[in-house]
Amino acid sequence: MLEAAAPLLELDDVSVALNDGARPMVSGISLSIRPREVFGVVGESGSGKTLLARTIFGLHDEAHVAGGRISFNGEELPQHGRHRAAAAKLLGHDVGFVPQDPFSSLNPSMRVGKQITEALYLAKGMPMHAAQTRERAIGVLAEVGIPEPELAFNQFPDQFSGGMRQRIVFAIALSQEPKLLVADEPTTALDAITQRRVIELILERSRTHNLAVLLITHNLELLRQSVDRIAVLYGGQLHNIVKSADVGQRPLHPYTEALFACIPSKGRTLAEIRSIPGEPVGAGFGTTGCAFASRCGFAVETCRTARLPLNDGKGESFSACLLGRGAEP
Amino acid sequence: MRRLLSYPRSTIEWSAVVVACLIVLMALFGRWFAPFDALQIDFRNKLKAPSFVHLLGTDETGRDVLSRLLFGAQLTLSSTLTVLVIVVLIGCTIGLFSALIGGAIDNLLMRLADIWLGFPPLILALGFASALGASLEAAILALVLSWWPNYARLTRMVASDILARKFIASADALGVPLTRKIFAYLIPNAFDVMIVQVSLDVSAVMLAISGLSFIGVGAQIPAPEWGAMIADGRSYVSKAWWIVSAPGLMIFLTAVSFNIIGDMLRRELDPTLRRDRREGPAGA
Amino acid sequence: MSQGVPMVELEGVAKRFSRRAFVQSRSFALHDISLTVERGEVVGILGESGSGKSTVANIITRLTAYDSGSYRFEGRDMKRLSRAESFEFKSKVQIVFQDPYGSLNPRATVQDSLLEALVLHQRGLSRQQRLAQAARLFEEVGLGSQSSARYPHAFSGGQRQRIAIARALAVQPELLVCDEPLSSLDVSIQAQILELFVRLIRDRHLTIIFISHDVSVMRLLCDRVYVMNQGRIVESGRTSDVLEHPKDDYTARLLEAVY
Repeated sequence: MLEAAAPLLELDDVSVALNDGARPMVSGISLSIRPREVFGVVGESGSGKTLLARTIFGLHDEAHVAGGRISFNGEELPQHGRHRAAAAKLLGHDVGFVPQDPFSSLNPSMRVGKQITEALYLAKGMPMHAAQTRERAIGVLAEVGIPEPELAFNQFPDQFSGGMRQRIVFAIALSQEPKLLVADEPTTALDAITQRRVIELILERSRTHNLAVLLITHNLELLRQSVDRIAVLYGGQLHNIVKSADVGQRPLHPYTEALFACIPSKGRTLAEIRSIPGEPVGAGFGTTGCAFASRCGFAVETCRTARLPLNDGKGESFSACLLGRGAEP
Repeated sequence: MRRLLSYPRSTIEWSAVVVACLIVLMALFGRWFAPFDALQIDFRNKLKAPSFVHLLGTDETGRDVLSRLLFGAQLTLSSTLTVLVIVVLIGCTIGLFSALIGGAIDNLLMRLADIWLGFPPLILALGFASALGASLEAAILALVLSWWPNYARLTRMVASDILARKFIASADALGVPLTRKIFAYLIPNAFDVMIVQVSLDVSAVMLAISGLSFIGVGAQIPAPEWGAMIADGRSYVSKAWWIVSAPGLMIFLTAVSFNIIGDMLRRELDPTLRRDRREGPAGA
Repeated sequence: MSQGVPMVELEGVAKRFSRRAFVQSRSFALHDISLTVERGEVVGILGESGSGKSTVANIITRLTAYDSGSYRFEGRDMKRLSRAESFEFKSKVQIVFQDPYGSLNPRATVQDSLLEALVLHQRGLSRQQRLAQAARLFEEVGLGSQSSARYPHAFSGGQRQRIAIARALAVQPELLVCDEPLSSLDVSIQAQILELFVRLIRDRHLTIIFISHDVSVMRLLCDRVYVMNQGRIVESGRTSDVLEHPKDDYTARLLEAVY
């Protein structure tokens, strides 16, 4: 049960721009994630979801936060030039990161155990060669389901499969006892069976460790079954924040509904699948007009010209639809 | 054309393009602008400093330096071009053949090229000079023989990369004949990489030819090849600096400008640039 | 479904991949692959990456050879074909690949790529007729409003996939092999291309072999499905049977894992 706690991560009208670009690629993002909440972010390619997630945590080399306020655990992060350094400090301490590619996120020349003890040292100051640190590392390897963790401790990453490597990356993040885990498409490169196992592991362990999770993926159905709330991005705009439980129970933002309608999920016949006409719009659409208007069945003229509303954060859900579709009744 | 004009991004790059064009024009038409005959000896006027009559002065036999420079442009650049054209034809053909045939023959050819690369061009040139007599032709031959493996290896690598891509498999599935595969698929897709290499090599080859002429195994007296001119004027550096400086400056300018153009092309034509992809660079 | 000789018949096909030194790829092999495809059917091959499904596709389209077993196409053995027979085969069987960004020649206009297919396999057409046919194909795959005289990079992923399909259809094939054609596309575009496939199956009476790891797409498009794991076929049958009452353990686990 999520009580009305102070938000862990709070974004207020945040925009992200490329370092060599003029206009922002992502704009008007306002959302908050509570402690222990499992929050999903979904979007097609070009929606800006990865750009946003990486840049607010200072992980993007070619982009920066161009506007808005970001607060973590009640403290506002500095803006402009000093944002990146401050955000980087959060990583490895309060924020853990599981990136997409399991094959390049581990140092191939360093033994697995050492990568964890190093993380423990950086996060908690535990001495790298102490027995206690080693115990902790082996413990967290066991926790993520690595068989024979004492042996694994001394092995190199390339001795493990993709799914195992993702678990190790997760183990590193867990060991630092963060408050928020950011997982950026953590299972896209894995096969279906491994994918489900790793996602379930991440969610289950996060529950045990009282972590909040920010899960970024393009798999809408996965989110609907796994997370508390879902933010929907398109064209660099935030269109909808919905409670997973509300999907199918009440009208949502037209884009969200259209997206759900085109997934060939279980039990759906061909006739029930409705594709969205046209091509997805890339990030950088700006805040004037709704990026989805060109493909939306309900769009009217104002949808193209009016300024998209911001999430005032007062409710659990939010819909940016200028016609009010998907708003909380 | 418009796309080409958009390539130069700084003053330096524009200058390089302009200078290179001027040098090429000089090579093509310079001889008709030369005020004097490049080989005309006139001992009464030897070692004269630059003046209105002889804009770049005269050398130790009274020949006009400017005229020699203009004639020399054609000599130097045409020999550079000859080397490059032959090397590209031989090297690329071998490389392409190697990539297409694959297997043991591919391996053999590439190892052969590797070994051949071990031959220092200088030694080879000296060898030819002693065997055939020193001449510009001998220098060109020596360079062609030592340079072709570079292009063979490069072409083979580029062609192999292209052949591994899915649109080649599509072409195979369609039954596209080999000649068309080579001319419509391989060559157009390899062109970018090759042109970068060629422009960078212009300066390298030119320096090599001038260098060989300088040490006496290339162009012989009285040919006004720039390297040879520097060799001629070597003894008079303190007395008549213009004899050495003028060709030296030209070599320098040519080498630098083609190098800059090569770098510019490499930047503009880099296939790893994600211009071609619709997704933004954010990979959002 | 027609009686008589099946269009595609693989029996006991096997292929070994020799392990290359210093290359990290897992070497795998195909073991005892037996499958049939009747004319007019849409048959699916379901499996994860590394299961060997793409290799089977390449064997069927004769892009790769096989080591043992037999492959009969329309009753004829495919082991040794003359050049002419090989080319005739290509008029009958075409393939659409997964990656829309790699399957078209970046240095040829899309129209040229289409015309090329027509020049090779639709002999006896004048240039005018070819241009008209290319325009018709473009229209058929839903790109009628676009100019085809542009280069591939001017088109989006979904559009490029349509172009690849148009090119495959240009030869008027009897069998279309599709190797994960939707997997690299966005969700909303997948639905569009899925609809295109449905329409093409209906209008052209194509026989299709559809390779994918996506169970849901299999369920919607395929009459029968073969499930592959680690180079072997572990289960096969009518799609509804296999997906609802899997007999094999791997199939069951795969179905369970799908969201």
